[in-house]
Amino acid sequence: MFGVETVELDLPALAGALSRRLRDAGVPVTPERSADFARALALVRPMTRRRLYWTARSVFVSDQAQADGFDSVFFSVFGDAGVAGSEHPSDAPTVPTPADERPTSDRRSSTEGSMQSDRRASVASSPPRAGDEDDDGAEVGVPLAMASEEELLATKSFDALDAYELAQVYRMMGRLELATPLRRTRRDETGRHGRHVDVRRTLRGSLRTAGDPIRIARRRRRIARRRLVVLCDISGSMEPYARAYLQFLASAAGSGSNVEAFVFATRLTRLTRALASRHPERAIQRAAAAAPDWSSGTRIGDALKAFNDRHGRRGMARGAVVVILSDGWERGDPMLVGREMERLSRLAYRIVWVNPRVGASAFSVRAGGMVAALPYCDALVSGHSLQALDAVADAIGAPRGARRDASTPSLQAPPAGETEEREPWASATPVPGSSVAMPSGHGPSRGHTTPGWVTDGDG
Amino acid sequence: MSPPRVTGGPADEVGRLVPDVETLAQRLGGVDYLVDEGLATSMYLSLRLPQPLLLEGEAGVGKTEAAKSLAAVLDTPLIRLQCYEGIDAAEALYEWNYPRQLLSIRLADSSGSALREEDLFGSDYLIRRPLLRALEHPGPRPAVLLIDEIDRADDDFEAFLLELLAEARVTIPELGTIMATHPPIIVLTSNRTRDLHDAVKRRCLYHWIDYPTPQREVEIVRRRVKGASPTLAVQVADAVSRMRDSDVQKPPGIAEAIDWVAALSVLGIERLDAPAVDRTLGSVLKYGEDQEVIRAAGLEQLVRSGE
Repeated sequence: MFGVETVELDLPALAGALSRRLRDAGVPVTPERSADFARALALVRPMTRRRLYWTARSVFVSDQAQADGFDSVFFSVFGDAGVAGSEHPSDAPTVPTPADERPTSDRRSSTEGSMQSDRRASVASSPPRAGDEDDDGAEVGVPLAMASEEELLATKSFDALDAYELAQVYRMMGRLELATPLRRTRRDETGRHGRHVDVRRTLRGSLRTAGDPIRIARRRRRIARRRLVVLCDISGSMEPYARAYLQFLASAAGSGSNVEAFVFATRLTRLTRALASRHPERAIQRAAAAAPDWSSGTRIGDALKAFNDRHGRRGMARGAVVVILSDGWERGDPMLVGREMERLSRLAYRIVWVNPRVGASAFSVRAGGMVAALPYCDALVSGHSLQALDAVADAIGAPRGARRDASTPSLQAPPAGETEEREPWASATPVPGSSVAMPSGHGPSRGHTTPGWVTDGDG
Repeated sequence: MSPPRVTGGPADEVGRLVPDVETLAQRLGGVDYLVDEGLATSMYLSLRLPQPLLLEGEAGVGKTEAAKSLAAVLDTPLIRLQCYEGIDAAEALYEWNYPRQLLSIRLADSSGSALREEDLFGSDYLIRRPLLRALEHPGPRPAVLLIDEIDRADDDFEAFLLELLAEARVTIPELGTIMATHPPIIVLTSNRTRDLHDAVKRRCLYHWIDYPTPQREVEIVRRRVKGASPTLAVQVADAVSRMRDSDVQKPPGIAEAIDWVAALSVLGIERLDAPAVDRTLGSVLKYGEDQEVIRAAGLEQLVRSGE
């Protein structure tokens, strides 16, 4: 069947082996694809490795983000001399994969190498837990929260929670409902008081009355919720909040299909797919593993630019409610934050900035990034505790036109020339052994334990 | 295993026309669409397996053009469905001709003849939209169906497409299932404004079209703009590739490079220099901010030769 005279390889076996390895490398391969590959090989009969490469890639890769994973498997199986490189440099597949979707293994070794190993060391010190997959044990260990306890927790700031409390907050957060404002879609639905006549149904009905359209069927525009885009800062200064916010992202992502979630510190990572799961704990583990830059420095401007360039401009932010969870500490150029916020505000329906420091009594807008971003925010809310998250939900659901919350404390920028207070977490290295450090489950190198459910923590 | 696919007559016809990847690449070149090996292989597999082809890439790299060229190579009609938010079966697949149905009812009424429901919902009263036209294409070779910018349609529409993508047939409640005699060659394009559903991707071959190398771009530009001077094409390809490397929001695609050369040719400019760029920058960069970025970096920098 496969033209055995010319091809010496055992094609079905080859296809099977390659599929297996690709699956191991995280490229989704179905048996159907493997069968397609065998048929494609029979059709193309690749005589060069290069041709084989493109044949396999056409069949197996279904997204540009998978290309790197595919390449590494392919070259490890068939050797990497010259398929894309030296033989035909003109056609090299030099597509720069969007950095946020590359497999994490690539990025570990990048600039934060030393930091990563620090983290891994500190993470490794917490003992490995049995039955990580399901965390049955931990679940049993947490008693159901009493109402009074819930009330207490609701007002407690996220950075003051111990692991046990955090687990409860997570559970309570699951009840939080996020609803973005409505918009009218171009799609119709049947409606008795709709504006448009549904000719098709009217006519069908008229056959029953000898062709006289007595009952007029109507259609109306369907109403849908706006898209919600959440960008969460996971840099060092946001660390105590980020673990709670990740749960917030997960419940947001779980609340509807039209939610996009990103995290950023030094780079932007898209978590939508990692969070799309019916098991919030597992989703969070996956999300934590996907982002390589936990608790490093903040580059809000660069992250916003990356978002605008790669996603926002193409349509993700158009007409959407964009929520940014960040304290506004910018290590880069605040000018860039302002510029990118302006771009974003032209695309988005509303921008809600959630800054946990707004909850502090002596808060005034001082962080450079925050000052630059403020003119473009429709609402600035605190969201530092569970109760404050209600305000976030309200801000998300508010219609346009309601400008910044009057209730928020002094929003004026500091007078020019005043020295800026220093970022308290300026160091990119997490404080070892500190109770505000990310729970071990959040570390990128180990996505095993459920964050906050570590009972042997120091909380 | 994969669903049964229609083989036989039409597939042979296509196979005769493009027996292998090289021939396809050559024939595409013949209609002024230059492909690299990756794209050629994907297109070839899409024709021969046959399986829908999902093309992604930056705006203006020739995704839509790929489908057009494929239709030209096969000498079959290109049936294009431009997706937009809210597109539904009535606009993509079929619609009944209501005025005509009403008229028939009136006529039957006045002449006293009997009119059954089946008469009203027969093919005479059917308005065929692109998807149905592609399925009913009589051959001898299959039509090329371009489903353009599928990411603009809402996800309900993707689900609606699944039956068509996998089995080249659709179901119309009043008529039953319509099976294509010549399953169309389906090309989908997406700009990645949102992720497509896995179910759609699973049924498609995938290819990411990248920006071409400067040499290839020169070749493409010269083929597309007849009479453009070779020097100009080289300079424009050079400048455009510099723009892509710079910090612009919307890097110019091949389409913009072609537009630019066309604009310069119309103005009678043979060599690209700073004043010439200044006059025509609007045909290649469509954002005010981007133009500022390039102007700030210096137009001389853009057109300097060498390196």
